[in-house]
Amino acid sequence: MTTSPFDNQRDEQLGRLLREQLIGSAPEVFLRRLRRAVAEAEPRSEWDILAGWARPRVMALAVAAGLLLWFGTWVAAGSSPRDPGVMVASLPAHTVLSPQPPAVDEIMSAMMERR
Amino acid sequence: MADAELAQSAARGDSDAFGQLIDRHGLAARRAALAVLRDEDDADDAVQEGMLAAWRAIDRYDPARPFRPWLMRIVVNAALDARRRSRVRQAEPIVDSLESSGLGPDRRAEATLLREKIQAGLAGLPERQRVALVLFDAEGWGHADIAAVLGVPEGTVRSYVFHARRAMRRALGTLAEAMK
Repeated sequence: MTTSPFDNQRDEQLGRLLREQLIGSAPEVFLRRLRRAVAEAEPRSEWDILAGWARPRVMALAVAAGLLLWFGTWVAAGSSPRDPGVMVASLPAHTVLSPQPPAVDEIMSAMMERR
Repeated sequence: MADAELAQSAARGDSDAFGQLIDRHGLAARRAALAVLRDEDDADDAVQEGMLAAWRAIDRYDPARPFRPWLMRIVVNAALDARRRSRVRQAEPIVDSLESSGLGPDRRAEATLLREKIQAGLAGLPERQRVALVLFDAEGWGHADIAAVLGVPEGTVRSYVFHARRAMRRALGTLAEAMK
């Protein structure tokens, strides 16, 4: 056995003793048992295999779609008109609320106030 | 055929290819599981569970990496899970595996004594030290791989191996030298 427990090298002698001890009984029978268990396990269907193949590609597509959506939203927000539109707030309130069209004087006076 | 090629065939549904991987790595997996569980039946069940898990997850194996650590990690985790589930069960002695055929009576007696001392030494180790020792010295794992499986820092694994070796040396005494 190695003389230094701090040795980073493997202790070949101890390793050999442990391998001999931990081999277990009837190794061939054990390996046959494992092979049989795998053979009898639920067979992996073609869909399982396809799903395994497709999983990373579906993830990549989802990420790409998310990026495209974000980019589209960003572009749409950037190109929206900055013109606030008609400033009805500068008109007297009753001209907005009234079903009748405002008088010309009221419109003119509102425009003059903006100046 | 290399492990990675067999694994790729297995990922395409070829169970015979996976069977060849079992033949190559099944006994190493059994040793690792025995180190954790110290009971042959429990260890065999854990290896089978781990192998089936590996078979179902074979398409997630990266062929650019070595196959054995990937498989062993699954098996050791299955054994650790089984250990957690059956904490109360008394461990049976590890099987009499040093077949003494061809040895004279004196050597056979020495081999029996050595086996008993190794069993006693392993039984006296805390579980994590035992696993670290077997994976490092018997299975040739690196400290980093053992650390990943046990969920501890690499330095802790070095400490486990150190303490385990010291305890085993104490348990074996001069017998190991005599068996060289």
